[in-house]
Amino acid sequence: MADRYAHYDVLDKRDTPSWNDKTRQVIDARMSLREADAGIGEARLATLRRLVSRIAPQPERHAPANTVALLAHKIVKDEGEGFRPATLPRLRECWLRGLDAIEAEAQARHGRAFAGLDAERADALLRGIEAGETQASDWIALPARDFWNWRVIPDIVSMHWSHPSLWSAMGFGGPASPRGYVRLDVNRRDPWEAEEHGDG
Amino acid sequence: MRGRSLALPLVRILLRIARPASREARAATFFTGGAAVLAGSVLADSATEHYRGSFRNPAMVLPLLSASASLIINGGGGSFSRKTADVVHVAAGAVGLGGLGFHAWNVGRQTGGYRLGNLLYKAPLGAPGALVLTGLLGAIAGALRESRAGAVVPRLVTGRAAGAVVAFGLAGTVAEAGLLHFRGAFHNPAMWLPVSIPPLTALSLARDVARAIPSPATPYLLAMTATLGLAGAAFHAWGVSRNMGGWRNWRQNLLAGPPIPAPPSFTGLAIAGFGALLLLKGRTHG
Amino acid sequence: MAEDDADIRCAGGRAPDPLVPGGWLEMREYGEEPVDFVIVGTGAGGAPLAARLAEAGFSVVAMDAGPFWRPLEDFASDESHQSKLFWTDDRIVDGDDPIVLGSNNSGKSVGGSTVHFAMVSLRFRPDHFRSRSLLGYGADWPIDWREMWDYYREVERVLHISGPVSYPWGPKRPRYPLRAHPLNAAADYLARGAEALGIDWAETPIATLSAPIGKAHPCVYRGFCVTGCSTNAKQSALVTWIPRALRAGAEVRDRAMVGRIETGPNGLATGVHYHRGGQWRFQRARAVIVAGYAIETPRLLLASATADQPDGLANSSGLVGRNLMIQLNQAAWGQVDDEVRSYKGPPSLAVSEHWNYRDEGKDYHGGWSYMSQGPLPVTWAKTLAGGRGLWGRELLDEMERANHSVGLKMVGEALPNAANRVTLADETDQYGLRIPRVTHSYSDNERAMMRHATRFMEDSLKATGARETWREMGDTCHLGGTARMGFDRTTSVVDADCRSWDVPNLWICDGSVFPTVGGVNPSLTIQAIACRTADRIVAMSRQGAL
Repeated sequence: MADRYAHYDVLDKRDTPSWNDKTRQVIDARMSLREADAGIGEARLATLRRLVSRIAPQPERHAPANTVALLAHKIVKDEGEGFRPATLPRLRECWLRGLDAIEAEAQARHGRAFAGLDAERADALLRGIEAGETQASDWIALPARDFWNWRVIPDIVSMHWSHPSLWSAMGFGGPASPRGYVRLDVNRRDPWEAEEHGDG
Repeated sequence: MRGRSLALPLVRILLRIARPASREARAATFFTGGAAVLAGSVLADSATEHYRGSFRNPAMVLPLLSASASLIINGGGGSFSRKTADVVHVAAGAVGLGGLGFHAWNVGRQTGGYRLGNLLYKAPLGAPGALVLTGLLGAIAGALRESRAGAVVPRLVTGRAAGAVVAFGLAGTVAEAGLLHFRGAFHNPAMWLPVSIPPLTALSLARDVARAIPSPATPYLLAMTATLGLAGAAFHAWGVSRNMGGWRNWRQNLLAGPPIPAPPSFTGLAIAGFGALLLLKGRTHG
Repeated sequence: MAEDDADIRCAGGRAPDPLVPGGWLEMREYGEEPVDFVIVGTGAGGAPLAARLAEAGFSVVAMDAGPFWRPLEDFASDESHQSKLFWTDDRIVDGDDPIVLGSNNSGKSVGGSTVHFAMVSLRFRPDHFRSRSLLGYGADWPIDWREMWDYYREVERVLHISGPVSYPWGPKRPRYPLRAHPLNAAADYLARGAEALGIDWAETPIATLSAPIGKAHPCVYRGFCVTGCSTNAKQSALVTWIPRALRAGAEVRDRAMVGRIETGPNGLATGVHYHRGGQWRFQRARAVIVAGYAIETPRLLLASATADQPDGLANSSGLVGRNLMIQLNQAAWGQVDDEVRSYKGPPSLAVSEHWNYRDEGKDYHGGWSYMSQGPLPVTWAKTLAGGRGLWGRELLDEMERANHSVGLKMVGEALPNAANRVTLADETDQYGLRIPRVTHSYSDNERAMMRHATRFMEDSLKATGARETWREMGDTCHLGGTARMGFDRTTSVVDADCRSWDVPNLWICDGSVFPTVGGVNPSLTIQAIACRTADRIVAMSRQGAL
């Protein structure tokens, strides 16, 4: 799909009244997180990288998001939302076991690392987890569908769309305080909102 | 530069009022002055509001052009030919009437049609009327200048007509202020002022027109209304500063806050009201 | 990330002024002296009570497990960061349809979940207070709707609700204090759909300012409402009742987690054990009011079991924790040619209560309303991923069409069902307290309502020209019912005054007392009940009946 907002970068508004100090502090900190600093180990990090790249691809015309780093830090800090289904352990343990299970699944199916699978095989494997059709024994204690629905999807998607590049790609106004919006009607936008360009 | 170019016509108007001249000439100066202030208010207000509307219809630029021309003609202190001036006044009337029609049509086609929400937030139904008033006041001033030479139009008739225009204009402006202050739920007690003083002024003036005798209260009410218009602009400026982000967030707050250019239209009408009083007062002698 | 905003702030004779950056309000402190009332929770239930009881001259200490924010300086325009407003302590969810907790149904701040609520402030349909007698389902409330109507009015004034001048449904109501906000494009789509289907719609009565009031700015339509309002236009308990409570002499203790209600040999409550500043403390009180919402309230009562009351405090009926009700939050979505950009403005500026007031044409019990929507990016991505199973390239592409997406979402009445409940799990949390287990399954009635509502909302979207419409079937919102009020001690936990049947100096006042949840967002009703309870306490105190 043609990027409708190729010329829009929400970060251009960082020093305008659309951003307050607190927002600048939070976003700056987020964008500075690095994968290596999280400390979940190289093997799991490789699995996580491949997983994130399949679930949440980078936008074509905007800077790549550091989604893997965000998620790796979340995992290490065990920063969950608190609630979890009775079938799953807490976030950190759940992810570490889940990453190992994905790796085991790749070994069981293809005899090689998940990080080394091509897109087609990786996606087929993930669709298996999504449907609860798995081969590795790791999934006995960690129900694949629950792991997928309560951890993989919400966590990756939340981290990915917390990054300004993804906001730019979708033409989202981004942070908006103290300045909000004036023009609320259909097909109207303020000068500080993204202008949409037609496909092609 | 801009300050000087604005100040010059004002000085001229003041000089003309101070200078001994015929009653018609002095009245004409009031109408011209009132029309100039009104034109200024319309120009600034329509510029702001139509900028908010992103000038999505090319016709939205017309009130800016028309009000600018009116401002130049009326503020220029009569240094333009009668013909030029008439064209500008008629244009103001036409653009204003067109605007009234367009706004009415536009509100009608919104979801829910003429429901209150649309009257409060969509194209303001009465606002283009101020441009019609600008044209009328300018035209009255022109007619008065003509009458100086040949007394074509009887003073009383002009006085009553002008008084009626001003009274009607005040009533319309009150209605608009009332609607918008209702939208703001009269959150500040001062918001009641424009719906209490100007209506009295309009009534007093209407009574004067009906009786053809100015009452002693009318000039005071006109003076209060004129002052209120200026105070209103100041109040609105303060209101803008109170919104989130204050003046630093001016790109939002000038549009979302109370409209600073709107209240001076009361001032313009009140100034013209003095002209009407002058004519009514002088119907028997002078 | 530097998180200075996690500190205890209410101390040293002062509490933050939520309306002024760096500002403080004077606060009376009671130490651990016995007070007239200790209130557990400062949300929609606890905050009005703190204000009203302190104003009536009682000594009040109100505790909240969460921090005391100053939104102007503490809130970022960011969904992820602002999840600091949610209750993120451990909880187990199970049942056939385990519910997602957090954003839609929890809050951990002074002001509770009103700090991030969507501000929709609707009154119950009068008949819904007597759904058992009049409509044949659920349970009757022991309170007459006309009395509630007066308390609704009080709360609407305190919150400066912006609403339409004439409201299309129900008995005539007085004019809302402030005028309705303009519709955003998403709301216009609701209105157009309703007109096309020939039903009424209205601007949503909403607790965000359309004119400046006091130190609070009017709404700037920034659209981050459900992540906390950094404008302070939102009339949360934090900026309305809490400053009022402080001025009236109530003490607020932030970051104070109550773990147990202590009872004396006579079975009366004597105070609460709470964790604050790294240690357990005890606050003595002549009466305890629990206002922790539908999970924490039963959790605290169950955890306060004694030898005399082994099944939990105030639980002789066995109903503490039972009849947990969610509200259905299903949606229909579609694509339109117009740029909708629904990230602007409060998310729910237009509403239709048609199906709250109309009973014909339903194959189920209960009512529902629906509202326009404005999901922010993370929420929208989770909606698409969870609701449509999109991921990878498909998800990215769909997200890039977000400015042309438009949707309608219901708030639907789930029926009380004793099997849906809150219990204590064996696992413990950071305070050493047993964590709650929340068990939930839908019944056939809810499924029938979902079917009807999503079909109707989809029809509404189609009537406005939306394409590629789809139904989101998974979401829930709001909770209620785990300590229901009623007419007698065997079928309810508290009476109409929110006073527990078993422990006369124990009161429960929040969404958990709802016998039924109706088809509207609960915050206005919770606050109305709190005001009524305050009046009843004052009246009983005068009669010496406390």
